[in-house]
Order: sequence, then structure tokens, then C-alpha cells
Amino acid sequence: MNKKIVSGLAFAAAATLALGVVATSPASAAGKTEVTLAFQGPLTGGDAQLGQDQIPGAIYAIALYNAKNPKVKVNLIKADSQCDGTVAANIAPGVAANKAVIGVIGTSCSGEARNSFPAYKAAGLTMIAPSASAVSLTNPKAPDRGFPIFHRVVAHDGFQAPALARYAAKGVTAPKFYVIDDMTTYGGPLAKGTLPTAKKLGTVVGTDSVPKGTADYTSVASKVKASGANVVIYGGYTTDAAKLFKALRDGGYTGILASGDGTNTSDFPGLAGKAAEGVRLTAADVPFDSILTKAQLADFTKITGVKVPGLYSTTAYNATNIFLDCISKGSLTRSAIQLCVTNGSWIGAGGETIKFDRYGDIIGGAPVGGYLVKNGVIVYDSVA
Amino acid sequence: MATSRQCRGVATLHNTLHLNRLVDMNFSVITTQFWSLVLQGLALGLIYALVSLGYTMVYGVLRLINFANSEVFMIGTFATLYLEIHVLGYATNAKSLHGATLIWTLFVVFIGAMIACAIVAMLVELVAYRRLRARGANRLASLISAIGVSIALLEGMRIITISRPMTTPRLLDKWSFGQFHGANFRIDTMMAIVVPIIIFVALDRFVTKSRLGKSIRAVSMSEENSKLMGININRVITLTFCIGGLTTGAAAFIYTTVYENTVFNVGFNMGIAAFTAAVLGGIGNLRGAFYGGIALGMLEQFASAMLGSQWKAVTVFTVLVVVLLFKPNGLFGEAVQQTRT
Repeated sequence: MNKKIVSGLAFAAAATLALGVVATSPASAAGKTEVTLAFQGPLTGGDAQLGQDQIPGAIYAIALYNAKNPKVKVNLIKADSQCDGTVAANIAPGVAANKAVIGVIGTSCSGEARNSFPAYKAAGLTMIAPSASAVSLTNPKAPDRGFPIFHRVVAHDGFQAPALARYAAKGVTAPKFYVIDDMTTYGGPLAKGTLPTAKKLGTVVGTDSVPKGTADYTSVASKVKASGANVVIYGGYTTDAAKLFKALRDGGYTGILASGDGTNTSDFPGLAGKAAEGVRLTAADVPFDSILTKAQLADFTKITGVKVPGLYSTTAYNATNIFLDCISKGSLTRSAIQLCVTNGSWIGAGGETIKFDRYGDIIGGAPVGGYLVKNGVIVYDSVA
Repeated sequence: MATSRQCRGVATLHNTLHLNRLVDMNFSVITTQFWSLVLQGLALGLIYALVSLGYTMVYGVLRLINFANSEVFMIGTFATLYLEIHVLGYATNAKSLHGATLIWTLFVVFIGAMIACAIVAMLVELVAYRRLRARGANRLASLISAIGVSIALLEGMRIITISRPMTTPRLLDKWSFGQFHGANFRIDTMMAIVVPIIIFVALDRFVTKSRLGKSIRAVSMSEENSKLMGININRVITLTFCIGGLTTGAAAFIYTTVYENTVFNVGFNMGIAAFTAAVLGGIGNLRGAFYGGIALGMLEQFASAMLGSQWKAVTVFTVLVVVLLFKPNGLFGEAVQQTRT
């Protein structure tokens, strides 16, 4: 074959190969007009309301951003974890393998965060969690820490647990605490974290650990009644809290019932019925509808279909806006997003400064709010 | 007598294993909460007993475990919910009923749940067992088929309900008759005790005295000889599944009325508990299933109170293993060649 033809063909092949690599390279930002964020949290299952309450915050933030006709549009995909670590371990690799995804808004739950870390760490996929609050996720000594990819815009349970104990005992003379947990990554440490503060405020008359998903709580109700407790604190999620609180009230317990943000979902009053009335809840979040103007709330409803934003809509909104800010500044790859998120500083929807420390927590922490169930609705009460 | 060295060794081992933190032993409940735990254990145990009747009766005639019975229970809880909310039109926050309206409503829902479960149980027999038996398939095939039906029902309900738990209305207000040494005699607790006892007595009489009951016992003794005596085997087996479905449906109604919630996988834990009760009492033995259920309910309540709720499952299954070590056929023995009463 003619030498010129051969060298010409060789050059064409090399050029095609190079262009092809550039065109399909996942790390390349060149020519991108769309990027994708993933929301990971429970959208079905017993704890679905937690994720269902959060995702409108993300949808709203992205809709506002895309409406400004930016150079790079942002898409949102949903990864339903059912707040289950086992499910999360199965879906996270799929999200990580999706080259279009450059960031994860999530996770909602602590157990699923831990089980997602292997896939996301290997893929260099940055996470900003709206509500995963277990201390170990950002503890530099914990084997299940999320460093370097995990960040959260919510105060961890090291802040929430003492606040929960204080809020539960508010106005109670000589509080006698009974502390129960659901033996999960979230509920166990949260409940146990209330004990030091509870011992300072009063006496701890009993503790119990009841596996998540238990159907019958009558023995627990008997123990609580027999102990003489007047403040019950539960570390766990909505569905089990509803069953427990019902059993306690039906068993004759008349004292205070309290739980953390895992129970602070809009479906809790419906599931617990009359037993929900007066329940004290905490959450490291400010209600989104207290931040939005009337016009903004109407816009939010039009975009998301949700009339009253649920808990952690604000933190989901904040988490999404951090990603969007980085994208608007040209961070269109996973590594660029990681750099931006780690080093940047933002003002959250509630006016708070958000800057992450080395291990992913907000520097300076965040306030914990106290919520009450009144007439079948969860309302914000005060700082816990 | 232990030496001081031995005592130090035990103390070191105790501290190393953090036993004092793992187990919250409280034996004072035996005196302070005894009657309360007995009452609750009885109520819970009799729900287990009703479901375990389904397992034990099928085993008696087929020598097979009907693993789909847990999903029959699940269907029963959703049937209860469906009847109360969608057929009778009560919202989840509806006020409790009283008087004749209450009795009539509960009766209609009770019968409806039982019929729904009986139909599902007979369909399970038709789909998972009959054709395989007719073709002479080995027992493993029938077992796998039943597990397949169970998974299909469970996953189907997961899709329909998007895995969300559902609450039923409190039609029966939980008022108390009175107390006895700390035991609260609530109306729903008494229903959970009295109704299963009535059902068991009626079933016991049916199996021992009625013609159909004798047919069931004959088939469980010897299928071949029953055929020779002109007994329609398929009809007897279908009847057995139907009876198991009826008792499981009754359990589902009582469970939903007491706990006021259900979810797609509610049958899983109930199935394990009921099967354990059947084995504990003696699989294939009706009275064994009854007493096994009560024993299991009591064990769970006392273990939870004395050791902590996290030790409930460990205690129950340890006791099961120990019982089977000494009595491999359960407390009342397996029904050898017959569905014993």
C-alpha cells in the first residue's frame, strides 16, 4: 500500500480515537450542556415520608436554577433507598456508575449513608446530606466515616440528642426518663446520646432497645408504666414511634412522649392517631414555609405540588443550592464538585453560614428546633 | 466452692464481654408485672396459635409446611383494612363505634377477613400443591412452589401499597373492664383471648366429632386407605386449607383490631412466630399448636420484660432449640399418621 495512504489512515485513526476519548470521557467538562444530580433517600417504604418531605426542596431549587436559563441545565434523578442500608448498598453502585451524575443530595438516613460510602468513595461522588445525622458519619476515628466525600447541612446527633433530652423535660418537675431506641445506626446512638443530659436534669428510670419493625410493644408499655417514668424518649423512625406511642397511651401512660427528627415527618400524626397529640419532637431544621414569602410558597406549590413543605425541605434546598452554586461556577465534573464543596462557603435559606469542616460537618454546628404535635399537625415551637 | 482466683476470672470475663451493658436483667418483674405479662402473653400467644393452626393442619394431611400461610395472614390484615375503610366507609380518624353498630361492624369485618383468607388459602392449594401432587412431584417441588407463591403475594402487595404501612380506624375503643394486680383487662385484649379460645374449641369439636373432621383425620392417618374407603382426598385437602385460612383470617382480624396497622411484610414475622409455635407444640398436633402459641407469647413477654426487648428473639429460639433437643417432636409430639386433637 502507498506509504502516504497508510500514514494518512494512521493519522485519521489516531485523531478519531483521541476525539472519541474526549467525547466519551466522564471526567471531561468540555461541551456539557446538562449535568445530573441524584437524590437518594426513602421514597417508598415505612419511612417514605422522610424522603417525600425532602425532595420537594431539591426539586424547587433546581427548577429556580433552570428557569434562569443557565449555560448548563441540571437534571434530577431519584434513588429510592427505603431508608434501608441493604437497599442502599444495592442502588448506590448504580448511581455511582451513572457518569452523568456529579453529586448526590443525600442520604436522608444514616444507615443508608454508611452502606453507600463504598460505592461513592470509589467513584469520587460528593454527597451533601439533608438529614443523615449519626455522629459516626463524620467522626474521624469511626470506621464507617464518610470522609472525604460525605458532607451534611444538618447538625449531627451530638447536638440533637442533648437538645432532645432538654426539650422533652421542658416544664417537667423531677423528670424520670425512660429511653428507648430502635437498634439502628440512627436511633441507637441518638437515644443513648440523651442519657448524659437526662441524668443531669433528672433520673433515668429505665432503658430498652426494641428492634425496628417490631409489631407488639405491650411489654415495653408495661415496663414503662411500672417504672413510674414521666418522660419517654424514643430514638427511631416514624412507623415504629407511632406503634410504640399508641401502645404506651393504651397501656395507661400519661407522661411526656418525645422523639427526634426520624419521627418528625408529616405522616406521624396520622399513623399515631390520638397518641400523637402533645408529642415533642426535635429536628435540626427551620420550617421552609417560615422562610418563604407567600409568593414563593405559591411558586413552590406550583412547581412541586406540595402545599405545606415538610421537615428538611429547607436542608434539602440548601444542599441542592450548594451543588447548583458550584455548577454555576463551572464545576461540572465530580472532582471539581468535590473541590468546590470542600472549600466553599454559602449562606443557607435560613441565613446561616454553611462551610464544611474537614470531615463534612458545618463549622459551628446548627441550632436544633423543638416541634409539637397540636391538633394533628406538627408545628414549630422553639429552639430546643 | 469457687476460689477467689476463679471469681476474679469470671468477673474479668463478664467485664470483657460487657455483659452488664448488653443485658438489662430485671427479675423483679416476676412480682411487679406478673399478671400483666401473663395477660399480654396470652393475648399475643393466642394470635400466634390461630395462625399456627393453619400450618399444623396442612402438615397433618400433607406432611408439608405451607409457607404461604404467612401471606394469607397478610392478605387478611389488608382485607380487614379494606372492609373497614373502603367498603364500610370509615376514615382512619373515624370515631369509635358503640352498641349494636359496633358489634355488627366487627362481625361483618371478622367474617369478611376469614372468607378472604380461606379463598386465598384454597387458591394456594390449587396453584402450589394440587397439580404437583397429581404429577407425583417430590416434596421439595411443592415446598418451593409454596415459597414462590408467598413471595409473589408479598411483592405484589409491596407494589400495590408502595411499601407504606397503613393504619386502620379505631372502631373498637380500648376501654378497660378493670385491673387485677396491675393487669389491665382491656376490651381488645379480652377479644384477643376469648375469640381464639372459642375458635379452637369449635375446631377441636369439628375435627373429633363431625364427619368431615373424621375424613381429615383419616387422610392424615393414611391417604391410601382413605382413598379405598371412598374419601375424596382432594376435597379433604382443600377443606383443610380452607379451615387453616379461616383461622388465619380470624387472627388477621384480631391483629389488625388490636394493633391498628398493617404493612406488606407483616406476615413474615408472624409466619416465623406461628411456625415456631407449631413446632414447639408438635407439628401436626392441633392442641400442640394451641399450647405452643400460648407458650411462645408468654416467653416473648417475659423475656422482653426480664432481659430487655432486644433479647426476645434470642430467648425464644434458644428455648425452642433446647425443647427440641429433649423432645424432637415438640412438647406434645408430632401427629404420627394423624391430625391429633
